[in-house]
Amino acid sequence: MTSITLSGVNKSFGANFPVISGVDLKIDDGEFCVFLGPSGCGKSTLLRMVAGLETAYSGEIRIGDRVVDKVEPADREVAMVFQNYALYPHMSVYDNMAFGLRQAKTPKDEIDRRVREAARILQIEPLLDRMPKALSGGQRQRVAIGRAIVRQPKVFLFDEPLSNLDAALRVHMRSEIATLHRNFPAASMIYVTHDQTEAMALADKIVLLHAGKDMLKHGSIAQVGKPLDLYHRPRNLFVAGFLGSPTMNFIEASFAGQQADGARVALKSGEEIVVPVDGSTLAAGAAVTLGVRPEHLAPVAASGAALGAQTLTRRVSAVEHFGEYSFVYLDGGTPAPLIAKVAGDGGFKAGDSASFAAPADCCHLFDADGIALSHL
Amino acid sequence: MATSPVTRAAGRVAVPVLGLFWLAVTTVPFLFMVMTTFKTQQESYASSVWALPEGLNFVNYADVLSGPFLAYLKNSVMVVVISVLLIVLISAMAAYAFARMRFRFNEALFGLIVAGMIVPIHITLVPIYLMTRDMGLYDSPFALVGPYVATSLPISVFILTEFMRQIPKELEEAARLDGCGPFAIFFKIFLPLSGPGLSTVAIYNAIMLWNEFIFAYVLTSSTSTRTLPLAIWDYQGQYSSNIPAILAVVTLTSLPLVVAYAFGQEKIVKGMMAGSVKG
Repeated sequence: MTSITLSGVNKSFGANFPVISGVDLKIDDGEFCVFLGPSGCGKSTLLRMVAGLETAYSGEIRIGDRVVDKVEPADREVAMVFQNYALYPHMSVYDNMAFGLRQAKTPKDEIDRRVREAARILQIEPLLDRMPKALSGGQRQRVAIGRAIVRQPKVFLFDEPLSNLDAALRVHMRSEIATLHRNFPAASMIYVTHDQTEAMALADKIVLLHAGKDMLKHGSIAQVGKPLDLYHRPRNLFVAGFLGSPTMNFIEASFAGQQADGARVALKSGEEIVVPVDGSTLAAGAAVTLGVRPEHLAPVAASGAALGAQTLTRRVSAVEHFGEYSFVYLDGGTPAPLIAKVAGDGGFKAGDSASFAAPADCCHLFDADGIALSHL
Repeated sequence: MATSPVTRAAGRVAVPVLGLFWLAVTTVPFLFMVMTTFKTQQESYASSVWALPEGLNFVNYADVLSGPFLAYLKNSVMVVVISVLLIVLISAMAAYAFARMRFRFNEALFGLIVAGMIVPIHITLVPIYLMTRDMGLYDSPFALVGPYVATSLPISVFILTEFMRQIPKELEEAARLDGCGPFAIFFKIFLPLSGPGLSTVAIYNAIMLWNEFIFAYVLTSSTSTRTLPLAIWDYQGQYSSNIPAILAVVTLTSLPLVVAYAFGQEKIVKGMMAGSVKG
């Protein structure tokens, strides 16, 4: 059993600085779980509590069936990969990888076998005699992962392991970590990042965490679920706004009434949009927020949708071309411009008036407290 | 801040000139000392003070080395080696605790130890003399080890604590995950990584203790137990009119320091600068 269970976990640095509030979470056997959130949300602190490097103020942490709150880090059967690699600078790559096993008094032959096997998996065999300072960033990261592998842990912990690498290497190492997960299916993995792309690419389960006032008000966990569930069915405005780049478009509106196919909302610019959600708890005229992702705003001409229903017409204020796609910035009706992501160059230019269809199923509706209304 | 070309040109000239001036100030007395040791007593009286010796005359060195100089040297080496080893070990362990362990009064205790630097050693002479005598250590080279270690610890702890604070916390955490307790972390991670800091402390203290006079003067009295700084004192009485012989003693005494500084100056400067700039 390598499941990890956190029950009622709280953590504060001093009386006035709570960083983790009311975390209840279960990470299943062999699951790849990503802690995601903005700076200061406590994701690294939560990981370090699982590792045993921080103690929880209250609550309980279990690894498998064992409560580990008072268990030393080395006895938790976890291995951690640090953001800055944390390789011992005075030891060779081989010694770095063997150090933990030597501490555990593992027989020499066994240490040698495990180190060479890990080096083979990570393709760092030619580097075993080198010192860490003679390695590139990517090589150091592999050694750090190798040091974790040789311990054959039940749980792998990654604390922003790719954030010190350049963009190209980050993508490469990301795929290597995914491969590692496939090679060690029995081990659970917890991975901390602030990069939603890494989270979406790697995770079986994402735990999105609140920071600051939201954490104090709603607890640390904003939403837990599969990556696409969080992306397509965000529970609140924070989750909707955090995932996706560019961020989801938010348009202030008022609730105009519930009908069979969903809630009808009136935008301040005059359009009416039907969102397939249950708005029965809302009073007529209640303030709501309509959310539409940039890639779901399709140019009416291209989509073939009829002008009128579910259509937003705005003046184009700017266009950014990226070759494969373009961002079209639209003025009017919102404090920040709406952004539409269109294929190719889109054929738009600043000053044009353009109409975009917002397919009903891709629209989200949030009440005045920012909570998403459930889809029908 | 922008500087004018004139200022920059003046700087380019002034820095080497001042450097050469300072080199002269520090080197000339040293050269004078070495040069004079090659003169005979008569020669030193007859010729000008700055006159070159007539030849490489080692008679003063032979004279000095035929006396109890080697006994003084042996005592100095023994006392300095034992003291420095103890200072390095104790101050490194204390520095690790101050730099890395969270405990009540950590900062207050650190402040108290560092404040020890401002205590003038002269006010401790009488109590230390009485304690040494009561312990039966008076007039033994080992009497010097205790006071030497005690008076050197504040600066050593200060230097090493600053040094160890710069060792990334993640290394300690990685070691904890690898199964190390506090002692294993100290001996297997922090001690090897503190090499430059330990060298600084060792070299700095070795120089200070090699030249230490007042404790050696108060706590020892026989020729067989005294250290080199007292040798100079003794020779001053013995060769009161033989300046080349006295300078031969001084040259032989300072030789180990010159060698140590020549090989260790980079480490001394680096260690002293630790923590002053972000790396």
